Amino acid sequence: MEPTHLPATNFQDLAWAILLLPLVSALAITLGLRRNRELTTTLSLSAVGIGFGLSVWLFFLYGVSGERLAATPLSWMSVGSLSAHLGLTVDPLSTLMLMVVTGVSFLVHVYSTGYMEDDPEYPRYFASLGFFTFSMLGIVLSDNFVQTFIFWELVGVSSYLLVGFWYEKPAAADAAKKAFLTNRIGDFGFLLGILIVWAATGTVSFDAMAAKLKAEPGILGAAASLAGVLIFLGAVGKSAQLPLHVWLPDAMEGPTPVSALIHAATMVAAGVYMLCRVYFLLDLPAAWPAALSFLGSISALDVIAWTGALTSLVAGVIAIQQDDIKRILAYSTLSQLGYMVMAVGCGGPDAAMFHLTTHACFKALLFLGAGAVIYACHHEQNIWKMGGLAKRMPVTFWTFLLATAALCGLPVLSSGFYSKDAIFAAALASNRPVLFGIGVLVVGLTTLYMSRLVIIAFLGESRSEAASHAADPGRNMTLPLLILAVPSVSLGWLPVGAYFKSAIFPGAVTHSAEGFSDVFFEPFNHSPLGAFLGFGLMAFGLSVAFATYWGAAMDPMPGHLPRLSRALRNRLYFDEIYAATLIPLHDAVAALADWVDRWIVQGLFVRGISGGMDLFGRALRLVQTGNLQTYAFLFVAGVALVVLLALK
Amino acid sequence: MSTLSLLPLLPILGALVILLVPAAYSAAWRGIALGMTGVNLLVATTIFFTFHVGIGGYQMVANHAWVPAIGLNYHVGVDGLSVGLLLVGALVSFAATWVSSEIKSHERFFYVLLLVISGGVLGSLISLDLFFLYFFNELALVPTFLMIGIWGRGADRSAIAFQITLYLSLGALVALVGLIGLYALSGANTLDVVTLAAWLKTHPLPASTQTVLFGLLLFGFGTLVGLWPFHSWAPAGYAAAPTATAMMHAGILKKVGAFALLRAAFPLLPEGVAQWTRILAILCLGNILYCGWVAMRQRNLNLLFGNSSLAHMGFVFLGLASVSLIGITGAVLIMVAHALLASLEYALSGHIYRETGHLELDRMGGLMRRMPFIGAALVAAMLAGCGVPGFASFAGELAVMFGVWPTLPAFVVAAAFGGLLIGGIYMLRGIRQVAHGPDVGTTGGDVPCWTGRIPYLVLLVPLILFGVAPYVLVDRIRPSAALVVERALLKPSPAAPAAPAVAAAPAH
Amino acid sequence: MIVGLHHYLVVSALLFSLGLFGVLARRNLLVIYMSLELMLNAANLALVAFSRYNANLKGQVMVFFIITVAAAEVAVGLALIVALYRRRGTAHVEDLNSLRL
Repeated sequence: MEPTHLPATNFQDLAWAILLLPLVSALAITLGLRRNRELTTTLSLSAVGIGFGLSVWLFFLYGVSGERLAATPLSWMSVGSLSAHLGLTVDPLSTLMLMVVTGVSFLVHVYSTGYMEDDPEYPRYFASLGFFTFSMLGIVLSDNFVQTFIFWELVGVSSYLLVGFWYEKPAAADAAKKAFLTNRIGDFGFLLGILIVWAATGTVSFDAMAAKLKAEPGILGAAASLAGVLIFLGAVGKSAQLPLHVWLPDAMEGPTPVSALIHAATMVAAGVYMLCRVYFLLDLPAAWPAALSFLGSISALDVIAWTGALTSLVAGVIAIQQDDIKRILAYSTLSQLGYMVMAVGCGGPDAAMFHLTTHACFKALLFLGAGAVIYACHHEQNIWKMGGLAKRMPVTFWTFLLATAALCGLPVLSSGFYSKDAIFAAALASNRPVLFGIGVLVVGLTTLYMSRLVIIAFLGESRSEAASHAADPGRNMTLPLLILAVPSVSLGWLPVGAYFKSAIFPGAVTHSAEGFSDVFFEPFNHSPLGAFLGFGLMAFGLSVAFATYWGAAMDPMPGHLPRLSRALRNRLYFDEIYAATLIPLHDAVAALADWVDRWIVQGLFVRGISGGMDLFGRALRLVQTGNLQTYAFLFVAGVALVVLLALK
Repeated sequence: MSTLSLLPLLPILGALVILLVPAAYSAAWRGIALGMTGVNLLVATTIFFTFHVGIGGYQMVANHAWVPAIGLNYHVGVDGLSVGLLLVGALVSFAATWVSSEIKSHERFFYVLLLVISGGVLGSLISLDLFFLYFFNELALVPTFLMIGIWGRGADRSAIAFQITLYLSLGALVALVGLIGLYALSGANTLDVVTLAAWLKTHPLPASTQTVLFGLLLFGFGTLVGLWPFHSWAPAGYAAAPTATAMMHAGILKKVGAFALLRAAFPLLPEGVAQWTRILAILCLGNILYCGWVAMRQRNLNLLFGNSSLAHMGFVFLGLASVSLIGITGAVLIMVAHALLASLEYALSGHIYRETGHLELDRMGGLMRRMPFIGAALVAAMLAGCGVPGFASFAGELAVMFGVWPTLPAFVVAAAFGGLLIGGIYMLRGIRQVAHGPDVGTTGGDVPCWTGRIPYLVLLVPLILFGVAPYVLVDRIRPSAALVVERALLKPSPAAPAAPAVAAAPAH
Repeated sequence: MIVGLHHYLVVSALLFSLGLFGVLARRNLLVIYMSLELMLNAANLALVAFSRYNANLKGQVMVFFIITVAAAEVAVGLALIVALYRRRGTAHVEDLNSLRL
């Protein structure tokens, strides 16, 4: 990356407005406006809406032309060699991401005005949503590690507040807690990684760090790969990668629009975005400190790629046997995030960002569609109690179907096709055929579980009373669905991939598509193997789904493969394993510490000393006879002793 | 007279006035106490903002000889280490006085004692003569004994009052031995830190003496802060104390011990620093990890807060042990932030105790519905307690970790962040149990009107403001912390021409 | 035989010892009190003797003070003993140990 500079036109300072508007609206709602619903709605919608408008403007003003600018920084803390300010970077990467975040956030705001209409805590919801948008934009715009870490944690807090929005529901309160703590474990590594890099380069600024690394490639020394893996650990938490993925499915306890915004489009993407932002730190030759030298030539990118691929596979498998519509989508999100992480690991951060962008659109659409279904079915989330919704909720059904096609990667007619193919191409280009195989296989799985969802929930006959009376929701909920359907289909036709390539690797030669077939059938020309294999597996998955679930009254899988089905329904026992090992182990350590504190420190030492003093006092008390003459005698004896000593 | 002297003077004056007001005007007692702490808050705010940023030395100095024969001076001044603590000290005093409306018996005596604590703490923070620092600190410690015994909670409160008093007296005694040793062995015939620092620069003590003296000061003053393993007085004491006492003690009085280490031990005994920091780094892990684990097991909200505050003190010690500019700045930052945080926690738990009559976690739940304001403030405080950005404590903890990384082994930093993780576990479990979940039908309600919110807001708002803009504090702390580090690392100051004398001294 | 300073001091010492023995050995408060007076007068005697032999009046001035104070002390002390006797019906030291822990 080139160092940023201040140009003559200071429009990049508008980034501050984009960042702060949602915060201002959240604060205003919290401090006084919460009694007025209309004002709350207007304020939060306009804050994010204006933010989206400004983002689009910044994108066309600076992003497209590839300018890298820095908004005027604010001071935060500067002491010794730790110089942390709040600075905003306006470059191609951040401006496009800004559009994604503010755009999806705006649509979710609009949708929420319908979805949350009857909630008594409507203003608190919008305040939290605004606070979340602010935190997320902070990560997007950050130009240094400390700021990223600050907003990283703030995103965790705001997600805690949103997942636990219905805090009186024990499941929601527990899920919020779990999400925050699991993220904390990832942050543990993230901060250590930041410390390593800071100690080696003496700066926390991304630009300065990149410049130092360019001037002196070996500056991180033996800690290079360790630093990369530790930083990646932050993304493992936030982007819910194996083995810290357990919080995301539980986080579905939050309101569904929240799931669409933070657990599909933005927050979970923060990890991937951060990896792309600091890709220059990850793409270093393998070097481990002496204690870890057995890892040999495994580089940080290898770890990243494999983690992503495994997450993608495991989540895809688990999704097949989920019955809760939101959980299916949650595991699908995990699986797609695994793709993105794998792409970063395969040296394709541009492909990862491409997929992040398309995924943000179609996954938000899927969640909002699921929200509409849940809303229409009176908060029923089990797909086996739906059915036949296609006829009753046509708008929801067709938009949902388009998004499903995008998720499965239907050629040409979906954006997912293009972005997934970019990932397969990256895996092949980095010479990792196994990962490529896993990636293509997951396409089949994705199609299987999504077709299952669509067939059972939308097609066939109604399976419950609620489903038979379902209807499309009001316009403020269907409009976001329709708007999101447009990029879900068409985003792949635009040169987003090439845009990200030049954004992350300035000066890289990008393939510019020209002509009809080159634009629409580019993957078949560019990386035919991935495109054709993916298409084949997609068709396979679709036919398996139809063969199995068309007209089925109940899931046949538990009957045929009981053991596998049970394992999948129990999410491969990840939660159970943690609940049986790590958590009790840690609680036992705490119990031991408490026991030591109670009986050894407080009991033996403190009580022991005070008890010893007490005994000594009791012994001395025997001297106090209460007899005046004894005292007088002792007194005289004492005087005599002193006189004797004095005369001597 | 320096403006600084007003800080201890006004509360003590207020205490005397309250003693003179007859019982017929008992309503005036609280009014006088609030007025005095309020005026004091204004004075402290003025001092904070008229403080010249960027200067490491002492400002607003007043120096009067008191007992010249033994070199005793009334020498006061403020520097970056104390200016933030003075502000939050005045804030905490004001808030603690406000919430003391819960006291229904012997009010006159209570307010007198509260003002004495306030005056004592502020006095010790401005003292540049270690004798006065010690004297004011003891002056502030004595009332806690009476307050826990008379207005405390629980059947065994008098036993706990004895324990906390004896424990702290013992710690103070060890520190006193160290101070007397410093006085007697240095040969400077004074405990005035300015004179003493100049004297020790040219007449350094032998390394072994410094090591012993540093150890005495470390464990003496360390006990006052709750350095592991001399910590067990704190949680029990705070759980038994009335709200205002717990706020004053956990909030600000406890910080005086760490402050005294920064004033006396670190700059004056560099050889001792070199010998002890590794041990200190291990001991503070006792605070951070061990006390965190203990906190996880507590079933009483105040015991949880007490142990968590010990864990925070571990971060202060960790910052000190790093002997680096970033680390010590971070340590002072945490001291300031935690003063607000701890007193906020105890103020909130005090309200809950008043309303529900107990603090047992197992019998709580859904407080958020019943007490929206207190619940929200509690969630904010507990999130601040597990190191969430936006609160000043996060900035301090972050700075400490950055400061510690280059100077101490990596596992110490890893363990310290592990402490934050543990903090997250017990704080979030606490929120889950107290504020979230279904309403278990406890009695009581929220603060009735907006005036009732003032004591919580005067603590919470600065906690957030300093978290959003920590540079306001850091810019004040940094130059003074740099001086401490410079002296503690035995580096001759470039500004001091006396530096060659240090090298020349052993040649005689 | 010339009566010298030594003789006075020996008498004074004997008186003092007698008084001390009385204080330590007798049980009746009244007798202890009289023994105390004896000790005071032994000191007075020594002071007067020193004053005489040093040709210095300070000692005798001191004695006047002691006599005055002793008179006051007797007034207070006897009153206390009478009050105690009335209240407790005894003036024996063994019976008066209620200050014992």
